[in-house]
Amino acid sequence: MDWLEQELKSALARKDPPPGFAERVGEAIDRASPGAASKAGPIASRRVIAWPSRVAQRWLAAAAAAVILMIGGGVGYRWHRGIVAKRQVMQAFLIAGGQLNHLHAHLKEVSQ
Amino acid sequence: MKPARALALAVGASAALFAQQFKFDLDRLAAKASNTVDVSLSGPLLQLGARFLDSSDPDEAKVKKMIAGIEGIYVRHFEFKQDGAWTKSDLDGVRSQLKAPEWQRIVGWNSAEEGETAEVFLRLEGSKMTGLAILATEPKAFTVVNIAGPVDLDALSQLGGHFGVPKVQPDKPSGKKK
Repeated sequence: MDWLEQELKSALARKDPPPGFAERVGEAIDRASPGAASKAGPIASRRVIAWPSRVAQRWLAAAAAAVILMIGGGVGYRWHRGIVAKRQVMQAFLIAGGQLNHLHAHLKEVSQ
Repeated sequence: MKPARALALAVGASAALFAQQFKFDLDRLAAKASNTVDVSLSGPLLQLGARFLDSSDPDEAKVKKMIAGIEGIYVRHFEFKQDGAWTKSDLDGVRSQLKAPEWQRIVGWNSAEEGETAEVFLRLEGSKMTGLAILATEPKAFTVVNIAGPVDLDALSQLGGHFGVPKVQPDKPSGKKK
């Protein structure tokens, strides 16, 4: 074992905490959030995002439903506009084509 | 609304407004007509309609192919219950806008016997076709068409057989003789 391994072994060796360490940590947590640690424990007291209340949940659900309805309505309206536009395109081309064809028929008659 | 988006919308709206290549001004006829077809499609709405065309349908597939490159299509078609609902001044009001050098009249038909007229004009920029105008009248019908953009006239004519007019086959003589 060379000197480096010896140094690492001594640096990473398990050491027991000094007497009273656990008590000092508990007191520090109590000072940071009085009462919370004793009620729900240290993990719960540090929760970052609170779960919304029932009223807030209802509002969120209503907002989500409104957004879904708006998106659905928008898609439906766009689909309807597309179908109407398609019919108009076909109608316009059929009228234009019909007139050209009609003219073509007349010219053909004259040429014969 | 962001200024860039507002500007884009304004540009799009003005492009749609000016895609039509001549004015129709035929509201007077609309009031008299028993049937009216009024189609004004340009820009995004035209492209939206094109996306809904079904490529498996033969006619829709032809239109879908023709519509590529077209900026707008505008049709006014009026049908009347009685003769004399439209006058020569209505026709002249549209025709007077279709002048050279911008517009070239490529074919015209006038039948005094049947009271029908039909004219086809092409809008040309150099050798490039940029628009089509069709004016067609019958005693009880008046039709004006403007397609802004290049159009395949042969393909367009092939659609005609479905509009109550028999399709004309180039290799077969028409049954009607004058």
